Amino acid sequence: MDIQLGLAGKDFVILLADNQITNSILTIKHDEDKIYKLSEHVVMSVSGEPGDSSNFSEYILGNTVLYNIRNQHELSVDSCAKFTRKELANALRSRSPYQVNYLIGGYNTISQKPALYRIDYLASIAKVEFAAHGYASYFCYSIFDRMKKPDLTQDEALDILAACVNELTRRLVINHSSYTLKLVDSNGVRVINGEELLKRTSAK
Amino acid sequence: MSYNGTAIVAMTGKNCVAIAADKRLGQQFLTVDMDFQKIFPITKKTYVGLPGLATDVQTLYKSNMYRLNEQRDIEPKAFAHMVSSTLYEKRFGPYYIEPIVAGLDKNNNPYICGMDLLGCMDVAHDFIVAGSADENLKGMCENLWEADLEPEDLFETISQALLNAVDRDALSGWGGVVHIITPNEVITRHLKARMD
Amino acid sequence: MLQHKDGSVQNHQHGWEPYVDNGGTSLAIAGEDFCVIASDTRQSEGYSINTRFDPKIHKITDKIMLATTGYSADAKRLTEVIKMQTERYFYKHEKNMESHAAAQMLSVILYQKRFFPYYVFPILAGIDNEGKGCVYSYDPVGNMERVTFQVYGSASGMIQPFLDSQVGFKNQQNVDKTRLLTKEEAISIAVDSFTAATERDIYTGDYLEIYIVDANGIHREQKPLKFD
Repeated sequence: MDIQLGLAGKDFVILLADNQITNSILTIKHDEDKIYKLSEHVVMSVSGEPGDSSNFSEYILGNTVLYNIRNQHELSVDSCAKFTRKELANALRSRSPYQVNYLIGGYNTISQKPALYRIDYLASIAKVEFAAHGYASYFCYSIFDRMKKPDLTQDEALDILAACVNELTRRLVINHSSYTLKLVDSNGVRVINGEELLKRTSAK
Repeated sequence: MSYNGTAIVAMTGKNCVAIAADKRLGQQFLTVDMDFQKIFPITKKTYVGLPGLATDVQTLYKSNMYRLNEQRDIEPKAFAHMVSSTLYEKRFGPYYIEPIVAGLDKNNNPYICGMDLLGCMDVAHDFIVAGSADENLKGMCENLWEADLEPEDLFETISQALLNAVDRDALSGWGGVVHIITPNEVITRHLKARMD
Repeated sequence: MLQHKDGSVQNHQHGWEPYVDNGGTSLAIAGEDFCVIASDTRQSEGYSINTRFDPKIHKITDKIMLATTGYSADAKRLTEVIKMQTERYFYKHEKNMESHAAAQMLSVILYQKRFFPYYVFPILAGIDNEGKGCVYSYDPVGNMERVTFQVYGSASGMIQPFLDSQVGFKNQQNVDKTRLLTKEEAISIAVDSFTAATERDIYTGDYLEIYIVDANGIHREQKPLKFD
């Protein structure tokens, strides 16, 4: 029941993820940050099998950070996404495949463009304008389709995400009390207060 | 084979070949992407279409790219055999892909070839179809195709075959792309299609 | 279930399958004042051909034909039932059943067997009470729709998109999409559909039966298809 949304705008990308960790009927944690910061301009949100998601994500995080240190050069969002896909694809045909879904978003400082990649547990990758994984996808794709427009501003993007969260609270059997939002643009990664988004929701 | 949804078709013409695909990427009945690449250029005169499981489309394309370091263009026939071997190497844990190779050889004779997921080749003189809309494409092509079509007529034929086929398949469509390979140039056109 | 002394168990029950798919393809195209109904005559079971000539199109009244595909035995029984009912109607009311009435009746007959259906995909076609060509298509439990063209059976996947293109003028610009075909066009499209389907579908072939229903009555044509 993990919620994972992503949206690419005019010159930024926003990722949204819930903060819950669950085990069967229990909620283990209410304040988990499921959006990893891979570099100054790249973030990655994760959902899937609990052990796999942290283990594999930390492996990706470790390797991208290592690359950045070794080469004194930041891996672009596009390279991060393709690296993740390749590692996931190799694991897929090994004895222990990882059951994890990713959204990788960032701002490419060279091409000066935002990028959002959607990678599922089978390791198929797609560069998209908006994305969702899991149950949230059945609720949110239609909202994205309805509200998307070219050259989305940050404010409009937050409105769309608020509409998604609103729909999820109304219709999804599991309710999430809080969300993590991370926005990436040319200035780097910025955390947006989840409470702010919930305020937008109630204002509507 | 029908997890992500695909429709790919290749046809021969008079000194030209055409290869066309839809653009949808789905997860069963959920559409995830409406601009997904399924046809890849190999040389100026050889293209490969990879219908099947999307992750394997991307893996197989990459694994074939690494083998093309010969500093010269590969013939479509040789390339088809190479793809076939790549598939057969995974005989007991196959890639879920049924590739289509289309190209003009060094004498500009059309060459099209289909394959099953283990690499069993099927070289045809007329057309090859594959994907979740293969039945539909088969019916369209069997009716519309004729020998020695000129590039523009071939474009119309393959486009009509693709569009009408994907409209009767829930898992493919959402737009299409057509490449017409002629001795001098490759004409690439994007088709608008129904979005349902 | 039979248990031996050594404890081994032998299963003497063999599952009984009430349905068989006998393959074959049927189509119908409605015109302004006529209707073309076509069907191949091959009747097969798995990889064997039971007969090369088993007509799947039946005359219901002077204006209505019924084309079937699916399980041949059920199709024959269904045809029998409809013929019986239309005949009863004729003697009771001293007039032939109109196509819209027969169409509704067929839907009811199919739904009556909702929980043990006739495994048949029927197409009822002919001319309606205004003299216009009509085609009614059904699923095995009686969902009904009046359409201008329909194909069912083992080659439907191949023929339906072709009909969409050539009869429904789908994916074409600068054409009148409401235009109905002439008799010659409809026949030629029906013939082309079957020659193409026979080429690729192993369950379609042998002979092609074409019925043309119009104000002059019912006209039958037969053409050979490939035997392989």
